[in-house]
Amino acid sequence: MRKIIAAALAVASLGVGAAQAEITVGFVTSQSGPGSSIGVLYDRGMKAAVEYASSIGTEKIKFIQLDDGSDPSAATRNARKLVEENKVDLLIGTATAPSTIAMAAVANELKVPMIAISPITVPAADSGDRWVIAMPQPPSLMVKVVVDRMKRDGIKNFAYIGFSDAWGDLVYNGAQKPAEANGMKILTNERYARTDTSVTGQVLKIMATKPDAVLLGGSATQGALPPLTLAERGYKGPLYGTPALLNADFIRVGGKVVEGVLVSAGPVIVAEQLPDSHFSKKISMDFRAAYQKANGMPTTDGFSAYSFDAWLVFLDAAKRAMATAKPGTPEFRTALKNAIFTTKDLVGTHAIYNFKPGESYGVDERSLVLVRLADGKWKYEP
Amino acid sequence: MTGEIAAILAVDGIASGAIYLLIGLGLVLIFAVTRVIFVPFGDIAAFTALSLASLETGTRPGTVALVAGLAVLATLIECTALVRAGALSRLPRALLFYLVLPLLPAAAVWLVAGMALSMPVRIALSLALVLPIAPLLDRIVFRPIADASVLLLLTVAVALHFALSGMGLLFFGPEGVRTKPLVDAVFEVAGLIVNAQTLLIVVAAVVFSGLLFLVFEYTLLGKALRATAINRTGARLVGIRPATTGTIAYLLASLLAGISGVLIAPVTTIFYDSGFLIGLKAFVGAIIAGMTSYPGTALGSLLVGLLESYSSFWSSAYKEVVVFGILIPVLLWRSLSMAATDDEETEE
Amino acid sequence: MTAAQLRLAGLGAIVLLAFFPAILSPFSITLLNFIGIYALAVLGLVLLTGIGGMLSFGQAAFVGIAAYATAWVTVKQGYSPWLGLALALVLTAAIAAILGGVTLRLGGHFLSLSTIAWGLAIYFLFGNLPMLGQFNGISDIPPISIAGFSLAASQRIYYLIWIILIVALVLAANLLGSRQGRAIRALRGGRIMVESLGIDPFRIKLVTFVLAALLSALSGWLYAHMSRFVSPAPFDVNVGILYLLMAMVGGMGHLSGAVLGATIVTLLRNSIQDYLPKIAFSASGQVEVVVFAVLFILLLQRARGGLAPFALRYLPRVQPTPPKLVGALDHRRQPDRGTPILAVSEATRRFGGLVAVNSVSFEVEAGEILGLIGPNGAGKTTMFNLITGALPLDQGRIAFLGRDITHLPQRLIARAGIARTFQHVKLRPHMTLLDTVLLGTYGRTSSGFLGGALLLDRAEEHRAEAEAMRQLQRVGLADRAFDLAGNLPLGNQRLLEIARALAADPALLVLDEPAAGLRTAEKAELTRLLQALRAEGLTILLVEHDMDFVMGLVDRTVVMDFGSKLCEGAPDAVRADPRVQEAYLGGVV
Repeated sequence: MRKIIAAALAVASLGVGAAQAEITVGFVTSQSGPGSSIGVLYDRGMKAAVEYASSIGTEKIKFIQLDDGSDPSAATRNARKLVEENKVDLLIGTATAPSTIAMAAVANELKVPMIAISPITVPAADSGDRWVIAMPQPPSLMVKVVVDRMKRDGIKNFAYIGFSDAWGDLVYNGAQKPAEANGMKILTNERYARTDTSVTGQVLKIMATKPDAVLLGGSATQGALPPLTLAERGYKGPLYGTPALLNADFIRVGGKVVEGVLVSAGPVIVAEQLPDSHFSKKISMDFRAAYQKANGMPTTDGFSAYSFDAWLVFLDAAKRAMATAKPGTPEFRTALKNAIFTTKDLVGTHAIYNFKPGESYGVDERSLVLVRLADGKWKYEP
Repeated sequence: MTGEIAAILAVDGIASGAIYLLIGLGLVLIFAVTRVIFVPFGDIAAFTALSLASLETGTRPGTVALVAGLAVLATLIECTALVRAGALSRLPRALLFYLVLPLLPAAAVWLVAGMALSMPVRIALSLALVLPIAPLLDRIVFRPIADASVLLLLTVAVALHFALSGMGLLFFGPEGVRTKPLVDAVFEVAGLIVNAQTLLIVVAAVVFSGLLFLVFEYTLLGKALRATAINRTGARLVGIRPATTGTIAYLLASLLAGISGVLIAPVTTIFYDSGFLIGLKAFVGAIIAGMTSYPGTALGSLLVGLLESYSSFWSSAYKEVVVFGILIPVLLWRSLSMAATDDEETEE
Repeated sequence: MTAAQLRLAGLGAIVLLAFFPAILSPFSITLLNFIGIYALAVLGLVLLTGIGGMLSFGQAAFVGIAAYATAWVTVKQGYSPWLGLALALVLTAAIAAILGGVTLRLGGHFLSLSTIAWGLAIYFLFGNLPMLGQFNGISDIPPISIAGFSLAASQRIYYLIWIILIVALVLAANLLGSRQGRAIRALRGGRIMVESLGIDPFRIKLVTFVLAALLSALSGWLYAHMSRFVSPAPFDVNVGILYLLMAMVGGMGHLSGAVLGATIVTLLRNSIQDYLPKIAFSASGQVEVVVFAVLFILLLQRARGGLAPFALRYLPRVQPTPPKLVGALDHRRQPDRGTPILAVSEATRRFGGLVAVNSVSFEVEAGEILGLIGPNGAGKTTMFNLITGALPLDQGRIAFLGRDITHLPQRLIARAGIARTFQHVKLRPHMTLLDTVLLGTYGRTSSGFLGGALLLDRAEEHRAEAEAMRQLQRVGLADRAFDLAGNLPLGNQRLLEIARALAADPALLVLDEPAAGLRTAEKAELTRLLQALRAEGLTILLVEHDMDFVMGLVDRTVVMDFGSKLCEGAPDAVRADPRVQEAYLGGVV
């Protein structure tokens, strides 16, 4: 019996965690597992954000970070831990879409506002309430801008090849509607795994359809595999892609073959090339400076900037919410949620954010510019 | 599908199959000699590729730290065992084998990393660097439980894979690498465009599996390996130490894994965790052959490569499902055709 | 401590569990929910791997099949979660039955390797089927509700999870104590002994495999409705290995190991997450994987039994009560003394070029002790294996009680009434003497898995226990009924094997070198026992090369040399036969 009591006490002791008055933010990202290549970038972006501003007025912000290992179960557990044990006022996360959806379900259930930094379709709570907003450009928008550009370039049909994962699904599904609207035809829906050694079969199938262009739904290093194989099989047409290809390894591995690829991107990517009048110019340069200071290295990626923008949205909303309630209380969470959902014309590195109640995305087409790879550098193409 | 596409896919499938063959031969070799189903095998291949890429970009590969750490650990374990057994005279030998020899290539790489090296030197260094990994792991992880059941050894091997892939992430980071092609030429064979790299892979697979065959058939070492595989106790009785043949099997297998890593690095992107899937596909090839036959493994690997290649054309999304799903009919066939053998397992 | 006190303690623990949501913080309840869900899947793994000896890395895949099944039923079809549960159970059981049917006949590592492979295949299948939401998974899964009462909050689903877990634990414990459960426990260590008791190991393995899958299905169903979201990643092979780690940590051989392991690993992961960043902050996630893998390896190297045996050592031990000798199982009517019951005619067996048994014929008559003797390498043990069905005949015919048993599998020969012992004793060292002998009654009893789990088998079980106790008394081991078989000296182990064989109520008892390794006093005791059995009308066939032991005991002998029958007859006549003397000692006896 003594053992049982001791065990009970041990379990009970896990539940320590006092309420506090300062604002607490819980951040989850993937520092291990397949999502870590992006998760690490989110992490660095957040470090830059905390470097940029770690208090609101005189109020210090308490910041807690957990790793989900790219596993949605761990993301669920982390979100619950942050809310139930650390009593966070806001959740920010995470690197893979499934994990982010899993976190959003917790945010809805426990009524805590959350800023998603992966592009997801945000679910509403059982009561119909919305507690979650998503920072990135919706994948459909990322793809729409590209497909619209294809139309402008005179392309009538194109082939698709992407990852056999959540990202590959998002890009393909996002391309369907604008393609239809523009009267264009998607000829193939080919998929490959991140660990595949060859996409010859898929590429042969694409070549057999003789497409005007190819849309790439991969990311980073392995995103270069289809262009390489396409070139090997004699493909000479144009290549289009999404922001997932904005990656040094893609350029390094792709080399000459991926020169000229046209992708949509947040303006932060080409911040230094933007005209001074562009909304993103100043804040992006500030972000880069903070990033350099916090991580000791420069950045040109777009993912870390989502973390940074999430922080900006939070700072802005918290300032307003603190006028009505005390941090650490359910009232404050509701106030913070309401404040987030009424964000107006907030200038971030990626976009000018406008959130409305009932909508999860707060960006418009201004949040995407087209960039072309030329001589190993991304060139702004207005 | 036209004949031309079928031919191109066949060439591609044979190239993948050749990679699986090299890894599959190593797997069967280790299993036969030590009864360990060495799951982390693919990881070693991946580590070779990652080391090669590091050398190429002029950075110090994380493998140096890994090998150094393993060598120190293995030396400590070996020396403790020797001191406990009172066999102090064997200490210098242990130090040589477990500390000095593995550290030599590591030190060499540590010194020259960052210099501009030629391709053959880089490849040689990478191979030398990963060569000690499997034997060291054997000493640290498997030797203490050499007499355990196959299932326990398998469980340990799976756990070891996770330890290695975790360390891979620590040492190499999450990004994938792809090295420069070893040969940069394109041939036309009977109207088919064949990449020289593909040809190289196939030739290397044939040469190395041929060499392995020669070693097994015609050298004393090969006979000792085969003897241990057939009967450990019997081998011990005629003066073959299973621990030694085990180390040799691991060394040979390490070499095979390293070579496949070098061959595959320019063809695809290798991540810290890529080895698992590659290794498992090689397993499928080996299982088709019942984990025992070398020629069977060759056929099995080829089948897996071709299956993968053709299914990537028909339905790329379900490629992995097809490759791993093929095991079900294969096992069904094996289970129906299996003679009533007396597979008495050992009591634990 | 008595059984009643133990029950009281268990009840106390359950009451404590019931009050947890009132006294613990919400996050502790969340952790307990995860622990409960993991423990269910791990319980299946303990049954399958720890107790049944089948190593599976694919347990997480079954959890996934169930989670996806219920997600599909509730989200895509809009039906109730209870219908989801039904589909989850049916689908999981069906897939497990097919996969098990394909792989369980093969050697151990084939099953294990194929579980890795199809675990991966199922992961990619989930990720690519549009109806399952591909890699994005299925979200907005409704909570379970009971009569309109929603279990969305974690404090509520907590009760459902733990009630299911406790019921599953109790049923599993009941099962393991029953007829079929003993068969599961006997699986580890090879099939020959199991089949010699008339048990069909393939069927037992298959049912165990399906049972383990069903426990995973419950786990997956609860998981889907607790996290309200499913995607492929939580059902990956990695998670299957995490389950294995939990089982190993907790203790593979004990049902309680499932709960213990799930608790320790879950809490450990939670605290690693809290403390590791303080040591290695930038790389905590990566280090966690390494720490766990290394821990796992160390555990497998140093403490394969896991923690349950340690924990159980500190718990008060329940004194077992010896079964009452009330009731009995039906006995067969032994054939009339002197009628032939076993007829071997021209039996031949070759191993490659070697003819181990060459056209041997003999008969055994009811009520006699027949000794099959011969020098080493004469083919006695092969002959023995041919009779009991452990090896198939190449030529010839064997009839038992007038029935042709030549091509019957081992277990049907056992069921027909031939019970055997082994030259190298085949016992399960972790089973008690009573359980060992109860295994022998398998062929005479009939209760099934469900009956055992629900305790519907008690009446039959009591009769079987009484029978087993009588057999233990007969061989003089009744006072050690609750000792472990592995703790007996060799002589007693041989007697225990005879008791197990007798519990099967055979018409013919075949003993393979029963005197080997016994001391003189033990041999005398064995002789007395066998004589008593003959007096009761049992027929005994003895393979032995200890001439003194045989000659004082048997009615007739058959002598074999170089695979052929040399001669047969009364002991004295055989002993005097110069051919026998020649064969044994080159003529000097």
